[in-house]
Amino acid sequence: MIAAALCVSACAAPAPRHGLPLDPPLPRPSFTLTDTWGKPYDFARETRGRLTFLFFGYLNCPDVCPVHVGNVATVLHKLSFEDQQRATFVFVTVDPARDSLPALRAWLDHFDKTFVGLRGDATVVDSLMGTLGLPPAIRAAPTKPNGWYEVGHAAPVIVFTADDVARVVYPFGTRQLDWAEDIPRLLKVGR
Amino acid sequence: MQWWCSASGKPWTWAPQFYPGVWIAMLALAVAFGILARRGRALGESRLAFWGGWTAVGLVWQSLDWPIGPLAAGYLASAHAVQFLTLALVAPPLLLVAVRKPLAAAVPTAGRAHAVAMFLTQPIIAGVLFNLITITTHVPSVVDRFMPSQLGAFAIDALWFAAGLVLWWPLVVGVPQRAWFSAPVRMLYLFMATLVHTGIAMVMLISRFPMYGIYELAPPWEIWSPLEDQHLAGGVMELAGAAIIFGILTVMFFRWSGGVAGDNAPKAPPRD
Repeated sequence: MIAAALCVSACAAPAPRHGLPLDPPLPRPSFTLTDTWGKPYDFARETRGRLTFLFFGYLNCPDVCPVHVGNVATVLHKLSFEDQQRATFVFVTVDPARDSLPALRAWLDHFDKTFVGLRGDATVVDSLMGTLGLPPAIRAAPTKPNGWYEVGHAAPVIVFTADDVARVVYPFGTRQLDWAEDIPRLLKVGR
Repeated sequence: MQWWCSASGKPWTWAPQFYPGVWIAMLALAVAFGILARRGRALGESRLAFWGGWTAVGLVWQSLDWPIGPLAAGYLASAHAVQFLTLALVAPPLLLVAVRKPLAAAVPTAGRAHAVAMFLTQPIIAGVLFNLITITTHVPSVVDRFMPSQLGAFAIDALWFAAGLVLWWPLVVGVPQRAWFSAPVRMLYLFMATLVHTGIAMVMLISRFPMYGIYELAPPWEIWSPLEDQHLAGGVMELAGAAIIFGILTVMFFRWSGGVAGDNAPKAPPRD
Protein backbone atom coordinates (compact mmCIF):
# COMPACT_ATOMS: atom_id res chain seq x y z
CA MET A 1 0.00 0.00 0.00
CA ILE A 2 2.80 2.42 1.01
CA ALA A 3 4.81 1.34 -2.04
CA ALA A 4 1.80 1.96 -4.26
CA ALA A 5 1.31 5.39 -2.71
CA LEU A 6 4.98 6.20 -3.24
CA CYS A 7 4.73 5.11 -6.84
CA VAL A 8 1.63 7.20 -7.48
CA SER A 9 3.36 10.32 -6.21
CA ALA A 10 6.74 9.59 -7.79
CA CYS A 11 5.64 8.08 -11.08
CA ALA A 12 3.57 11.12 -11.97
CA ALA A 13 6.71 13.30 -11.97
CA PRO A 14 9.47 12.96 -14.55
CA ALA A 15 12.31 10.78 -13.26
CA PRO A 16 15.68 12.38 -12.63
CA ARG A 17 18.20 11.72 -15.39
CA HIS A 18 21.38 11.72 -13.33
CA GLY A 19 22.62 10.42 -10.01
CA LEU A 20 22.51 6.88 -8.68
CA PRO A 21 19.09 5.36 -7.92
CA LEU A 22 18.44 4.08 -4.42
CA ASP A 23 16.70 0.73 -4.29
CA PRO A 24 14.89 0.53 -1.97
CA PRO A 25 14.22 4.25 -1.50
CA LEU A 26 15.43 5.80 1.73
CA PRO A 27 12.87 7.35 4.11
CA ARG A 28 13.67 10.80 5.46
CA PRO A 29 15.65 10.15 8.66
CA SER A 30 14.79 11.56 12.03
CA PHE A 31 17.67 13.11 13.95
CA THR A 32 18.46 16.24 15.87
CA LEU A 33 21.81 18.06 15.75
CA THR A 34 22.93 21.60 16.61
CA ASP A 35 22.54 24.23 13.92
CA THR A 36 24.90 27.16 13.31
CA TRP A 37 22.84 29.38 15.65
CA GLY A 38 23.47 26.92 18.48
CA LYS A 39 19.90 25.63 18.52
CA PRO A 40 18.65 22.06 18.15
CA TYR A 41 17.63 21.28 14.58
CA ASP A 42 15.09 18.50 14.16
CA PHE A 43 15.86 17.41 10.60
CA ALA A 44 12.64 15.46 9.99
CA ARG A 45 10.40 18.22 11.33
CA GLU A 46 12.23 21.16 9.75
CA THR A 47 12.51 19.65 6.28
CA ARG A 48 9.31 17.61 6.03
CA GLY A 49 7.63 17.98 2.63
CA ARG A 50 10.53 19.96 1.19
CA LEU A 51 13.11 19.10 -1.43
CA THR A 52 16.13 18.48 0.80
CA PHE A 53 19.78 18.03 -0.10
CA LEU A 54 21.68 16.25 2.67
CA PHE A 55 25.48 16.25 2.52
CA PHE A 56 28.20 15.16 4.93
CA GLY A 57 31.50 17.01 4.65
CA TYR A 58 34.05 19.15 6.47
CA LEU A 59 35.37 22.66 6.15
CA ASN A 60 39.04 21.75 5.62
CA CYS A 61 38.11 19.50 2.69
CA PRO A 62 40.38 20.73 -0.10
CA ASP A 63 38.46 19.50 -3.11
CA VAL A 64 35.25 17.46 -3.04
CA CYS A 65 33.12 19.33 -0.46
CA PRO A 66 33.48 22.90 -1.78
CA VAL A 67 33.00 21.80 -5.39
CA HIS A 68 29.98 19.59 -4.67
CA VAL A 69 28.27 22.15 -2.42
CA GLY A 70 29.19 24.98 -4.77
CA ASN A 71 27.66 23.25 -7.77
CA VAL A 72 24.32 22.70 -6.02
CA ALA A 73 24.33 26.30 -4.76
CA THR A 74 25.05 27.70 -8.22
CA VAL A 75 22.17 25.82 -9.77
CA LEU A 76 19.74 26.62 -6.93
CA HIS A 77 20.50 30.31 -7.46
CA LYS A 78 19.33 29.98 -11.07
CA LEU A 79 15.90 28.66 -10.05
CA SER A 80 12.87 30.89 -9.63
CA PHE A 81 12.44 32.47 -6.20
CA GLU A 82 9.46 30.19 -5.49
CA ASP A 83 11.43 27.05 -6.33
CA GLN A 84 14.38 28.23 -4.23
CA GLN A 85 12.01 28.62 -1.28
CA ARG A 86 10.95 24.97 -1.64
CA ALA A 87 14.48 23.58 -1.32
CA THR A 88 16.73 23.16 1.72
CA PHE A 89 20.40 22.27 1.72
CA VAL A 90 21.67 20.65 4.91
CA PHE A 91 25.39 20.24 5.54
CA VAL A 92 26.45 17.97 8.42
CA THR A 93 30.06 18.26 9.46
CA VAL A 94 32.00 15.03 9.86
CA ASP A 95 34.80 16.94 11.59
CA PRO A 96 33.17 18.48 14.67
CA ALA A 97 36.52 18.76 16.42
CA ARG A 98 37.68 21.48 14.03
CA ASP A 99 34.44 22.81 12.54
CA SER A 100 33.05 25.26 15.07
CA LEU A 101 29.53 26.57 14.56
CA PRO A 102 30.65 30.11 13.59
CA ALA A 103 33.21 28.65 11.15
CA LEU A 104 30.55 26.39 9.69
CA ARG A 105 28.20 29.38 9.26
CA ALA A 106 30.90 31.48 7.59
CA TRP A 107 31.84 28.65 5.23
CA LEU A 108 28.22 28.01 4.20
CA ASP A 109 27.54 31.73 3.77
CA HIS A 110 30.20 31.66 1.08
CA PHE A 111 27.75 29.51 -0.93
CA ASP A 112 24.33 30.52 0.35
CA LYS A 113 23.13 32.17 3.52
CA THR A 114 20.09 29.87 3.70
CA PHE A 115 22.12 26.65 3.75
CA VAL A 116 21.72 24.83 7.05
CA GLY A 117 24.87 23.73 8.89
CA LEU A 118 24.66 21.01 11.55
CA ARG A 119 27.17 19.77 14.06
CA GLY A 120 27.06 16.92 16.52
CA ASP A 121 29.25 14.48 18.32
CA ALA A 122 31.42 12.48 15.89
CA THR A 123 29.98 9.18 17.06
CA VAL A 124 26.43 10.47 16.58
CA VAL A 125 27.26 11.68 13.05
CA ASP A 126 28.94 8.37 12.19
CA SER A 127 25.92 6.49 13.46
CA LEU A 128 23.61 8.75 11.42
CA MET A 129 25.69 8.07 8.31
CA GLY A 130 25.33 4.36 9.01
CA THR A 131 21.53 4.62 9.08
CA LEU A 132 21.71 6.25 5.65
CA GLY A 133 23.86 3.45 4.26
CA LEU A 134 27.06 5.50 4.28
CA PRO A 135 30.33 4.33 5.80
CA PRO A 136 31.54 6.26 8.85
CA ALA A 137 34.04 9.09 8.35
CA ILE A 138 37.71 8.23 8.81
CA ARG A 139 39.65 10.91 10.66
CA ALA A 140 43.29 10.44 9.71
CA ALA A 141 46.30 11.15 11.90
CA PRO A 142 47.76 14.67 11.48
CA THR A 143 49.90 14.90 8.35
CA LYS A 144 51.29 18.41 8.84
CA PRO A 145 53.25 20.06 11.65
CA ASN A 146 50.30 22.33 12.43
CA GLY A 147 48.15 19.30 13.21
CA TRP A 148 46.20 19.39 9.94
CA TYR A 149 44.57 16.12 9.01
CA GLU A 150 42.26 14.82 6.32
CA VAL A 151 38.89 13.23 6.86
CA GLY A 152 37.85 10.44 4.54
CA HIS A 153 34.11 10.49 4.04
CA ALA A 154 31.40 9.38 1.65
CA ALA A 155 30.43 12.36 -0.50
CA PRO A 156 27.07 11.78 -2.14
CA VAL A 157 24.36 14.40 -1.91
CA ILE A 158 21.26 12.52 -0.77
CA VAL A 159 18.12 14.15 -2.13
CA PHE A 160 14.83 13.78 -0.29
CA THR A 161 11.80 14.84 -2.26
CA ALA A 162 8.54 16.33 -1.02
CA ASP A 163 7.15 12.86 -0.29
CA ASP A 164 9.91 12.45 2.34
CA VAL A 165 11.78 9.76 0.44
CA ALA A 166 15.19 9.71 -1.25
CA ARG A 167 15.26 7.73 -4.50
CA VAL A 168 18.53 9.05 -5.84
CA VAL A 169 21.94 10.15 -4.59
CA TYR A 170 24.40 12.31 -6.52
CA PRO A 171 28.06 11.33 -6.19
CA PHE A 172 30.97 13.70 -6.60
CA GLY A 173 31.36 14.41 -10.29
CA THR A 174 27.79 15.56 -10.77
CA ARG A 175 27.97 18.59 -13.05
CA GLN A 176 26.00 21.81 -12.74
CA LEU A 177 24.23 20.95 -15.98
CA ASP A 178 23.15 17.62 -14.44
CA TRP A 179 21.74 19.41 -11.41
CA ALA A 180 20.02 21.94 -13.65
CA GLU A 181 18.25 19.11 -15.46
CA ASP A 182 17.30 17.16 -12.35
CA ILE A 183 16.35 19.72 -9.70
CA PRO A 184 13.21 20.93 -11.55
CA ARG A 185 12.21 17.27 -11.94
CA LEU A 186 12.90 16.53 -8.27
CA LEU A 187 10.83 19.53 -7.24
CA LYS A 188 7.82 17.94 -8.94
CA VAL A 189 8.16 14.59 -7.17
CA GLY A 190 5.65 14.05 -4.40
CA ARG A 191 3.67 17.25 -5.00
CA MET B 1 56.70 12.53 -11.08
CA GLN B 2 54.67 13.95 -13.94
CA TRP B 3 56.55 14.46 -17.23
CA TRP B 4 53.87 16.74 -18.72
CA CYS B 5 51.26 18.98 -17.11
CA SER B 6 47.89 17.25 -16.88
CA ALA B 7 44.76 17.52 -14.76
CA SER B 8 45.70 15.77 -11.51
CA GLY B 9 42.60 16.57 -9.44
CA LYS B 10 44.84 17.54 -6.53
CA PRO B 11 44.46 20.91 -4.79
CA TRP B 12 46.54 23.65 -6.39
CA THR B 13 49.83 24.45 -4.72
CA TRP B 14 52.23 27.31 -5.39
CA ALA B 15 55.17 24.96 -4.79
CA PRO B 16 57.01 24.84 -8.15
CA GLN B 17 56.85 21.53 -10.01
CA PHE B 18 59.38 20.11 -12.45
CA TYR B 19 58.06 18.62 -15.69
CA PRO B 20 60.92 16.85 -17.51
CA GLY B 21 58.91 16.43 -20.72
CA VAL B 22 58.40 20.18 -20.98
CA TRP B 23 62.13 20.84 -20.48
CA ILE B 24 63.10 18.23 -23.08
CA ALA B 25 60.59 19.63 -25.59
CA MET B 26 61.80 23.17 -24.93
CA LEU B 27 65.43 22.14 -25.28
CA ALA B 28 64.62 20.53 -28.63
CA LEU B 29 62.73 23.64 -29.78
CA ALA B 30 65.50 25.98 -28.60
CA VAL B 31 68.24 23.95 -30.33
CA ALA B 32 66.27 23.65 -33.59
CA PHE B 33 65.39 27.34 -33.53
CA GLY B 34 68.92 28.36 -32.57
CA ILE B 35 70.42 26.52 -35.55
CA LEU B 36 67.86 27.89 -38.00
CA ALA B 37 67.98 31.41 -36.54
CA ARG B 38 71.78 31.58 -36.97
CA ARG B 39 71.34 30.56 -40.60
CA GLY B 40 68.59 33.17 -40.87
CA ARG B 41 70.90 35.89 -39.55
CA ALA B 42 73.57 34.81 -42.06
CA LEU B 43 70.93 35.05 -44.82
CA GLY B 44 70.00 38.58 -43.77
CA GLU B 45 67.09 38.16 -41.34
CA SER B 46 66.84 41.18 -39.06
CA ARG B 47 68.05 41.32 -35.48
CA LEU B 48 64.50 42.22 -34.46
CA ALA B 49 63.16 39.03 -36.04
CA PHE B 50 65.95 37.03 -34.38
CA TRP B 51 65.09 38.30 -30.90
CA GLY B 52 61.39 38.05 -31.65
CA GLY B 53 61.93 34.36 -32.32
CA TRP B 54 63.76 33.87 -29.03
CA THR B 55 60.95 35.73 -27.28
CA ALA B 56 58.55 33.22 -28.85
CA VAL B 57 60.66 30.33 -27.50
CA GLY B 58 60.40 31.91 -24.06
CA LEU B 59 56.64 32.39 -24.42
CA VAL B 60 56.13 28.74 -25.42
CA TRP B 61 58.19 27.67 -22.43
CA GLN B 62 56.22 29.88 -20.06
CA SER B 63 52.90 28.64 -21.37
CA LEU B 64 53.83 24.96 -21.05
CA ASP B 65 55.79 24.97 -17.79
CA TRP B 66 54.82 25.69 -14.19
CA PRO B 67 52.68 27.58 -13.24
CA ILE B 68 50.70 28.27 -16.45
CA GLY B 69 51.05 24.71 -17.77
CA PRO B 70 49.49 22.90 -14.80
CA LEU B 71 46.94 25.68 -14.22
CA ALA B 72 45.85 25.37 -17.85
CA ALA B 73 45.80 21.58 -17.72
CA GLY B 74 43.62 21.11 -14.68
CA TYR B 75 42.45 24.22 -12.91
CA LEU B 76 41.65 27.26 -15.04
CA ALA B 77 40.02 27.48 -18.46
CA SER B 78 41.34 31.04 -18.65
CA ALA B 79 44.94 29.80 -18.37
CA HIS B 80 44.09 27.26 -21.08
CA ALA B 81 42.89 30.11 -23.32
CA VAL B 82 46.14 32.01 -22.74
CA GLN B 83 48.04 28.83 -23.61
CA PHE B 84 46.04 28.40 -26.83
CA LEU B 85 46.69 31.97 -27.92
CA THR B 86 50.40 31.67 -27.15
CA LEU B 87 50.93 28.31 -28.82
CA ALA B 88 48.74 28.85 -31.88
CA LEU B 89 48.60 32.56 -32.59
CA VAL B 90 51.55 34.36 -31.00
CA ALA B 91 54.62 32.10 -30.97
CA PRO B 92 54.41 30.49 -34.45
CA PRO B 93 54.53 33.71 -36.49
CA LEU B 94 57.35 35.13 -34.36
CA LEU B 95 59.35 31.91 -34.78
CA LEU B 96 58.69 31.67 -38.51
CA VAL B 97 59.61 35.32 -39.18
CA ALA B 98 63.06 34.72 -37.71
CA VAL B 99 63.79 31.63 -39.78
CA ARG B 100 61.76 32.08 -42.97
CA LYS B 101 64.78 32.23 -45.29
CA PRO B 102 66.43 28.99 -44.13
CA LEU B 103 62.98 27.35 -44.03
CA ALA B 104 62.19 28.54 -47.56
CA ALA B 105 65.54 27.18 -48.74
CA ALA B 106 64.80 23.86 -47.05
CA VAL B 107 61.46 23.28 -48.79
CA PRO B 108 61.95 20.35 -51.20
CA THR B 109 61.54 21.25 -54.84
CA ALA B 110 60.77 17.78 -56.15
CA GLY B 111 59.58 14.35 -55.14
CA ARG B 112 57.13 13.16 -52.53
CA ALA B 113 58.39 15.62 -49.90
CA HIS B 114 57.64 18.45 -52.31
CA ALA B 115 54.11 17.11 -52.81
CA VAL B 116 53.56 16.94 -49.04
CA ALA B 117 54.92 20.48 -48.62
CA MET B 118 52.69 21.74 -51.42
CA PHE B 119 49.67 20.12 -49.79
CA LEU B 120 50.29 21.26 -46.21
CA THR B 121 51.18 24.83 -47.16
CA GLN B 122 48.20 25.20 -49.49
CA PRO B 123 46.34 28.05 -47.75
CA ILE B 124 42.93 26.42 -47.98
CA ILE B 125 44.28 23.17 -46.52
CA ALA B 126 46.21 25.07 -43.83
CA GLY B 127 43.15 27.10 -42.87
CA VAL B 128 40.89 24.06 -42.74
CA LEU B 129 43.45 22.07 -40.72
CA PHE B 130 43.89 24.90 -38.23
CA ASN B 131 40.16 25.26 -37.71
CA LEU B 132 39.55 21.51 -37.52
CA ILE B 133 42.21 21.19 -34.82
CA THR B 134 40.86 24.25 -32.99
CA ILE B 135 37.31 22.89 -32.99
CA THR B 136 38.27 19.33 -32.06
CA THR B 137 40.55 20.35 -29.21
CA HIS B 138 37.86 22.57 -27.69
CA VAL B 139 35.03 20.01 -27.74
CA PRO B 140 34.21 19.46 -24.02
CA SER B 141 34.22 15.65 -24.23
CA VAL B 142 37.63 15.71 -25.93
CA VAL B 143 39.10 18.14 -23.41
CA ASP B 144 37.68 16.19 -20.45
CA ARG B 145 39.03 12.93 -21.83
CA PHE B 146 42.48 14.16 -22.91
CA MET B 147 43.52 16.60 -20.19
CA PRO B 148 43.67 14.17 -17.23
CA SER B 149 46.24 12.13 -19.15
CA GLN B 150 49.78 13.43 -19.62
CA LEU B 151 49.92 12.02 -23.14
CA GLY B 152 46.53 13.55 -23.95
CA ALA B 153 47.51 16.95 -22.58
CA PHE B 154 50.79 16.77 -24.50
CA ALA B 155 48.87 15.88 -27.68
CA ILE B 156 46.61 18.93 -27.34
CA ASP B 157 49.55 21.28 -26.69
CA ALA B 158 51.53 19.81 -29.60
CA LEU B 159 48.52 19.99 -31.93
CA TRP B 160 47.96 23.67 -31.14
CA PHE B 161 51.60 24.52 -31.82
CA ALA B 162 51.64 22.46 -35.03
CA ALA B 163 48.33 24.00 -36.13
CA GLY B 164 49.79 27.46 -35.51
CA LEU B 165 52.85 26.71 -37.64
CA VAL B 166 50.64 25.35 -40.45
CA LEU B 167 48.34 28.41 -40.26
CA TRP B 168 51.12 30.98 -40.35
CA TRP B 169 53.44 29.29 -42.85
CA PRO B 170 51.65 30.50 -46.02
CA LEU B 171 51.61 34.06 -44.66
CA VAL B 172 55.11 34.27 -43.22
CA VAL B 173 57.30 31.88 -45.21
CA GLY B 174 55.26 31.97 -48.41
CA VAL B 175 57.12 29.10 -50.05
CA PRO B 176 56.05 27.36 -52.26
CA GLN B 177 54.86 30.61 -53.84
CA ARG B 178 51.37 30.90 -55.23
CA ALA B 179 50.52 33.69 -57.64
CA TRP B 180 46.88 33.89 -56.54
CA PHE B 181 47.82 34.34 -52.86
CA SER B 182 48.01 38.13 -53.14
CA ALA B 183 47.96 40.58 -50.23
CA PRO B 184 44.14 41.01 -50.15
CA VAL B 185 43.69 37.22 -50.33
CA ARG B 186 46.23 36.79 -47.52
CA MET B 187 44.27 39.21 -45.33
CA LEU B 188 41.04 37.37 -46.13
CA TYR B 189 42.80 34.06 -45.33
CA LEU B 190 43.91 35.25 -41.91
CA PHE B 191 40.50 36.71 -41.12
CA MET B 192 38.61 33.58 -42.21
CA ALA B 193 41.05 31.16 -40.60
CA THR B 194 40.54 32.64 -37.17
CA LEU B 195 36.75 32.99 -37.21
CA VAL B 196 36.26 29.60 -35.59
CA HIS B 197 38.15 30.39 -32.40
CA THR B 198 36.10 33.58 -32.12
CA GLY B 199 32.95 31.43 -32.31
CA ILE B 200 34.26 29.09 -29.61
CA ALA B 201 35.04 32.09 -27.44
CA MET B 202 31.48 33.38 -27.90
CA VAL B 203 30.02 30.04 -26.80
CA MET B 204 32.24 30.12 -23.70
CA LEU B 205 31.11 33.67 -22.98
CA ILE B 206 27.37 33.08 -23.21
CA SER B 207 27.20 29.60 -21.69
CA ARG B 208 25.09 29.47 -18.50
CA PHE B 209 27.02 26.49 -17.11
CA PRO B 210 30.67 25.42 -17.15
CA MET B 211 31.39 23.49 -20.34
CA TYR B 212 34.45 21.58 -19.20
CA GLY B 213 34.23 19.03 -16.40
CA ILE B 214 37.94 19.16 -15.61
CA TYR B 215 37.68 22.83 -14.66
CA GLU B 216 34.24 22.63 -13.06
CA LEU B 217 35.20 19.71 -10.80
CA ALA B 218 38.78 20.78 -10.14
CA PRO B 219 39.73 21.69 -6.57
CA PRO B 220 38.39 25.21 -6.21
CA TRP B 221 40.32 28.30 -7.19
CA GLU B 222 39.29 30.70 -4.49
CA ILE B 223 39.28 33.87 -6.58
CA TRP B 224 36.54 33.05 -9.09
CA SER B 225 33.99 30.33 -9.82
CA PRO B 226 34.32 27.85 -12.70
CA LEU B 227 31.70 29.76 -14.71
CA GLU B 228 33.40 33.11 -14.12
CA ASP B 229 36.67 31.48 -15.13
CA GLN B 230 35.07 30.18 -18.31
CA HIS B 231 33.70 33.63 -19.12
CA LEU B 232 37.17 35.03 -18.54
CA ALA B 233 38.58 32.38 -20.88
CA GLY B 234 36.05 33.32 -23.55
CA GLY B 235 36.89 37.00 -23.07
CA VAL B 236 40.63 36.34 -23.34
CA MET B 237 40.15 34.28 -26.50
CA GLU B 238 37.79 36.85 -27.97
CA LEU B 239 39.57 40.09 -27.08
CA ALA B 240 43.22 39.06 -27.03
CA GLY B 241 42.69 36.86 -30.10
CA ALA B 242 40.99 39.71 -31.94
CA ALA B 243 43.70 42.16 -30.87
CA ILE B 244 46.40 39.85 -32.25
CA ILE B 245 44.62 39.11 -35.52
CA PHE B 246 43.37 42.62 -36.21
CA GLY B 247 46.74 44.08 -35.22
CA ILE B 248 48.44 41.90 -37.81
CA LEU B 249 45.68 42.55 -40.37
CA THR B 250 46.17 46.30 -39.87
CA VAL B 251 49.90 46.03 -40.50
CA MET B 252 49.25 43.88 -43.57
CA PHE B 253 46.69 46.35 -44.87
CA PHE B 254 48.90 49.40 -44.52
CA ARG B 255 51.86 47.61 -46.06
CA TRP B 256 49.70 46.55 -48.95
CA SER B 257 48.01 49.95 -49.41
CA GLY B 258 51.40 51.66 -49.14
CA GLY B 259 52.72 49.38 -51.86
CA VAL B 260 49.70 50.05 -54.07
CA ALA B 261 50.08 53.79 -53.49
CA GLY B 262 53.78 53.51 -54.32
CA ASP B 263 52.97 51.73 -57.57
CA ASN B 264 50.41 54.42 -58.53
CA ALA B 265 52.55 57.39 -57.48
CA PRO B 266 53.31 59.86 -60.29
CA LYS B 267 56.63 59.10 -61.85
CA ALA B 268 59.24 61.80 -62.20
CA PRO B 269 59.55 63.02 -65.81
CA PRO B 270 62.55 61.63 -67.66
CA ARG B 271 65.50 63.93 -67.82
CA ASP B 272 66.62 65.23 -71.10
